[in-house]
Amino acid sequence: MKALPLVIFAMVALAQWAAPLSQIWTHEQTLTQGTLIKLKCSAPDPYDPLRGRYLAVRPEQREASVPAGLKLESGTHVYATLTSGADGLATISSLSLTPPTSGDYIRVNVGYAYESKATIEWPFERFYINEKLAPEADKWFAENIRGTKGIIAEVRVLNGRAVLADLSLDGRSFREILKERVK
Amino acid sequence: MNTSHHRWLLEQLPKWEGEGILTTDAARTLRERHVADASQPGAAQIIMGSLGALLIGTGLITIIGFNWDDFSRPVRLVFAFLPLLLSQLFSLRVMLRGEASAAWVRETAALLQALCTGACIALVSQIYNLGGEWPDFLFWWCLLSLPLVWVMKSSSVAIFYLIGIAEWSIHQVWGHQPWHASPMIYPLLLLGLFPFWPGWKLDRPLSTTLRWVMTISAICGLCAAAHHATRMHFAESWGHFDVTLWQWVLTSAMLALFPLPSAALDDTSRHKPQVILGFLHLLQFGVVATFLDMGQELAKAVREAWQVPWTWVLIGVIAAFAVHAVIRRRWAVLSVASIAITPVLALVLGETAQAVLPWLMTLHLSLIGITLIVLEFTGRRGAPRLGAALLCVLIIARMFESELSLLTKGLAFIVIGVAFLAFNICMSRLARQKQLPQP
Repeated sequence: MKALPLVIFAMVALAQWAAPLSQIWTHEQTLTQGTLIKLKCSAPDPYDPLRGRYLAVRPEQREASVPAGLKLESGTHVYATLTSGADGLATISSLSLTPPTSGDYIRVNVGYAYESKATIEWPFERFYINEKLAPEADKWFAENIRGTKGIIAEVRVLNGRAVLADLSLDGRSFREILKERVK
Repeated sequence: MNTSHHRWLLEQLPKWEGEGILTTDAARTLRERHVADASQPGAAQIIMGSLGALLIGTGLITIIGFNWDDFSRPVRLVFAFLPLLLSQLFSLRVMLRGEASAAWVRETAALLQALCTGACIALVSQIYNLGGEWPDFLFWWCLLSLPLVWVMKSSSVAIFYLIGIAEWSIHQVWGHQPWHASPMIYPLLLLGLFPFWPGWKLDRPLSTTLRWVMTISAICGLCAAAHHATRMHFAESWGHFDVTLWQWVLTSAMLALFPLPSAALDDTSRHKPQVILGFLHLLQFGVVATFLDMGQELAKAVREAWQVPWTWVLIGVIAAFAVHAVIRRRWAVLSVASIAITPVLALVLGETAQAVLPWLMTLHLSLIGITLIVLEFTGRRGAPRLGAALLCVLIIARMFESELSLLTKGLAFIVIGVAFLAFNICMSRLARQKQLPQP
């Protein structure tokens, strides 16, 4: 057996581990050290053939004001500064091309920009759920999404990265509520 | 002859020897000449091994899709990495055993490892609720699987990779991709398979299945690249799709002219899918371009195409391949590939190009039809039936465009049909005479 194929195989095996491990590392950091941000959302129950059922999570805020003099194009990466209001829900207060020096922020993509506004593509869009709970989750979502309290996406934010940690209604975790409903 | 043909022949030899058809010496000579390459798996072995790996891999992905959220995150991550680790250990064992491992076991191990890699990435992104687009996932999955093609000489992973990069290229046509994330890198991705054979002489001939998959993948990838290049050049404005269509014709010419080693020239057409598919597209384009109302659009498309750098890349590659084809005396291929260049010749005539182009194409196709027939009768490599069919189609196309009465058209069709059948019978008789032993 020649050594070169074995060396290449070892490198491939390492790379196959490194790709998911690097994802795990950055997302674990965000989950454990990131700030908890709450966003009001709107959404349905689609299906991904590889990763199973998920709830499509769309934060209610779809556009933000573009500061004067900042020219944005579709697909540009920008940093969105998040500010929490009196109700505890966060909204985008400003956009910039460089990371802000203080406050919580996430990196987002610009959908398209017009006049002094830009539409935002949030870096999270899916909340994966257990296949058995999915039909009940769908009902729960439909019942509550248009309610006054609304469904809240709990997102951990660190150094511009965001990880969707949970969904909640009236301060209660989505999983807890679903398990009660399924009983 | 491919591996399965060699195997079939070797299986028949003892029977033929027993029946007295072959002498022992003749059988030995044939055995020495047609050695079956044991490292090359048979089609049935590949299919069975690949199906097994595919079922296990799909099963893993489906189990992942259930989403076991009763378990903690670390436990679910162990579920993600355990199948990958086991498949890697299986592949390592197969590699260490070397020739002692059956070819189908090697195929199964490689494909299983590729599928477990995809399943692992999918599960990690499910656990952390990562969004992400399917093309991005597919791109990284393909790149992480590619080296398995080299080190395990796996045809099934090569097929997976070829389908994957074609699918990725088609997805990347749309949107605002920078060049390094666009279908423009498809040729580089295709070159990634080079260490599979390796060497320009194709010492390790590719199976027919792999050739077909590779050709179809190349068509998808290169056509996606052409479309993307045109969209970007004209800043995504509408009305330039005809430019892309002509670039696709150039791509077909390039594929048909793709250099082949001398030994491969005698292969049957089935083993040269790039020639079959290239010819089909070029001839279909040629016949469509003979219609009088096509001249204006085509002339405009070719004028605009000169502004797109991708056109120059295609023309440059075609020129290089054409030189090689001249050296190899592939006259039939050269004559059909030249259809792609006919619109350029018409442009020399300036403003009258759009009126002249359909007639020039008709003349060109007629000459090709006659050439393909004459080549065969002068002892060179021709394609008489294709030539006759081309002439028939041309006459039928002109009939449709003519103002003749239905009766005249009907009679003309019957005459052409009879002539075509008579030619076919003549060619069959000629072929039979060539096969008969000379007194």
